[in-house]
Amino acid sequence: MMTSDTGGRSGTERPTTYIRFDGWLAHVENAFNMFAAFSILALMLLAVAQVFGRLFFNTPIPGFIDITEQAMAIFAFAGVAYCQRVGGHIRMEIVLGKLHGRSLYICEMIGVILIAFTVALLIWGSWFHFDRSWNIGDSTMDIRLPTWPSKLMVPVALSLLFLRLLMQIYGYARLVADPSRAPVAVPVIENVEEVAQHEIEEAFGEETAEGGTK
Amino acid sequence: MTPFEVGLLMTGVLLVLVVLGVRVAFAAAFTGLVGLIIHFSMKMGFERGFFVALKMAGTIPHSKSVTYALSVLPTFILIGFLAFYAGFTKQLFEAAKRWLGWLPGGMAVGTVFSTAGFAAVSGASVATAAVFARVAIPEMLNAGYSKRLSAAVVAAGGTLASLIPPSAILVIYAILVEQSVGKLLIAGFLPGVFSALIYVGIIVAVSAWRGDAPPVKGYTWMERIESVPGTLPIIAVVAIIFCSFFFGLATPTEAGSLGAFVVLVVAFAKGMKTKQLGQALHETAKLTVMIFTLIWGVLVYVRFLGFAGLPDAFKDFIVGLEFSPWVVMICILLAYAVLGMFMDAIGMLILTLPVVYPAVIALNGGEGVSAADSAFGMSGEACAIWFGILVVKMAELCLITPPIGLNCFVVSGVRPDIPVQEVFRGCIPFFVADVLTIAGLLAFPSIITILPSLMG
Repeated sequence: MMTSDTGGRSGTERPTTYIRFDGWLAHVENAFNMFAAFSILALMLLAVAQVFGRLFFNTPIPGFIDITEQAMAIFAFAGVAYCQRVGGHIRMEIVLGKLHGRSLYICEMIGVILIAFTVALLIWGSWFHFDRSWNIGDSTMDIRLPTWPSKLMVPVALSLLFLRLLMQIYGYARLVADPSRAPVAVPVIENVEEVAQHEIEEAFGEETAEGGTK
Repeated sequence: MTPFEVGLLMTGVLLVLVVLGVRVAFAAAFTGLVGLIIHFSMKMGFERGFFVALKMAGTIPHSKSVTYALSVLPTFILIGFLAFYAGFTKQLFEAAKRWLGWLPGGMAVGTVFSTAGFAAVSGASVATAAVFARVAIPEMLNAGYSKRLSAAVVAAGGTLASLIPPSAILVIYAILVEQSVGKLLIAGFLPGVFSALIYVGIIVAVSAWRGDAPPVKGYTWMERIESVPGTLPIIAVVAIIFCSFFFGLATPTEAGSLGAFVVLVVAFAKGMKTKQLGQALHETAKLTVMIFTLIWGVLVYVRFLGFAGLPDAFKDFIVGLEFSPWVVMICILLAYAVLGMFMDAIGMLILTLPVVYPAVIALNGGEGVSAADSAFGMSGEACAIWFGILVVKMAELCLITPPIGLNCFVVSGVRPDIPVQEVFRGCIPFFVADVLTIAGLLAFPSIITILPSLMG
């Protein structure tokens, strides 16, 4: 749906500083997402231990619910910037899909600016929330885990998201200035055929991998 | 401006932003936050109002996400991605083919059962359609089935994902409306099986009438029994989840984790590499954070709506309508069908339920109403479960409805020789079947409510 004519522009016109920073940020985002991924795996193993401990040995893990709840902040927030980068947060593309060129990029940019504004305020607000639990030494009900590390996760993850949003604002701004440039570091819109194609590629990748292991 | 007018205004802003393609989670957080700021500024002046609103909104992401009930979500999602990477699909289809091939349209029937099983465990309707388009369609074509039937069966079979446990979307519904996760999941089981059986009936009838799907015979009992072990992991996961809830052996998170663990062990036994595990985990984390962001983003907005009194106003409006409650209910479901054509099912539910759900409950007569006094002849809790299953079924229906039924596009994308119009045409009987199923579930709510009521 989105045709980006690079019109013979060569690689020299690509914004290299921007791309370098983008790559650096992407590494941090990937690391955060991997952190979230492993917290899910760890939670899963902990819960299995909890079930076996309780059903067969009558010894549940002390403070299981407290630990789970506090650890949840990792997978609930850490991947938020990664998800924004790959365009994973859902939206409706019925209008955007009809736009082309500059009008499309202006719309996209306004959207991202709104998000950045919201996220900036929420970083501030969630910092208050963390600050309060830090000052009063708030802890969980059962085994008295401090709650501040988990509350700190919110402003930290949102700050990373904010950096990503700044990158995307810049990314769209250079496209607004000259829509014929190749999009760099911004998610591109797909129509329903392309979404379907994407899903198929993912499924195929897995199928191929599966075939390879046999 | 009164708080109510601010509420209406901001809701209008939210609709515009969502239609213009701002990411739903953040569009909701934005309108909620700005709405809160306006609301409190009008009460106590901008400076104080701003900070009250900011601090209030700042607590929501953490306090609403970090609750034990929600911890079940990533475990269900993990089961899905692991099952996917482990590739249980071929054995499942093979077993279904051997056991059911002798029927008219028998391989299509087998496809429905194997897609239903795989979709249930993977929780991913669209991905299921993609995988089975590759596994099942070539075999059906070889056996002399028409392209239209083969493609449609795969597209429609994938839609059975959301009802049979484990289903992430039912968990989200249960948490949003503060009902028991276990009961919702158990409630989905019979309607899911019911839908699958109706599909089977349609296939057998259509194939026998048109003769475009000859029976496949010649499998011995030995061959049939040999095919069973390959299907066990899938059956085990559904059984673990079902039994954990039905007999109250484990919390949802524990049951989900156990299911994920079983799939993980089987996947490693089948030779899954660490790299694939990494990919599965990465995808799980991405989908998890997407859902959590959506939940807290929308809850910022919902907090503001509460101050504006909008849900109450909508509730009064719905209850005050002079039509029969059944007509209103059908209109609400139709509205979901339309919305589902433009929006992902999870986003649609999270965005609309905080306003629509209280209205539906009020329509039935309120939260604590007894079955005898209610409009739909069921208690408040039963109504919550009934509505949840109906809405989810509605959202799944949209996957095979033109113009953007994604499952049909996926099937046609895997098989470029089958045009998407052909898939949509083939799906017409299944579409009719789904509409009849929904009518059946409306008319006989006990199909949904009987299993949860046995849980006590």
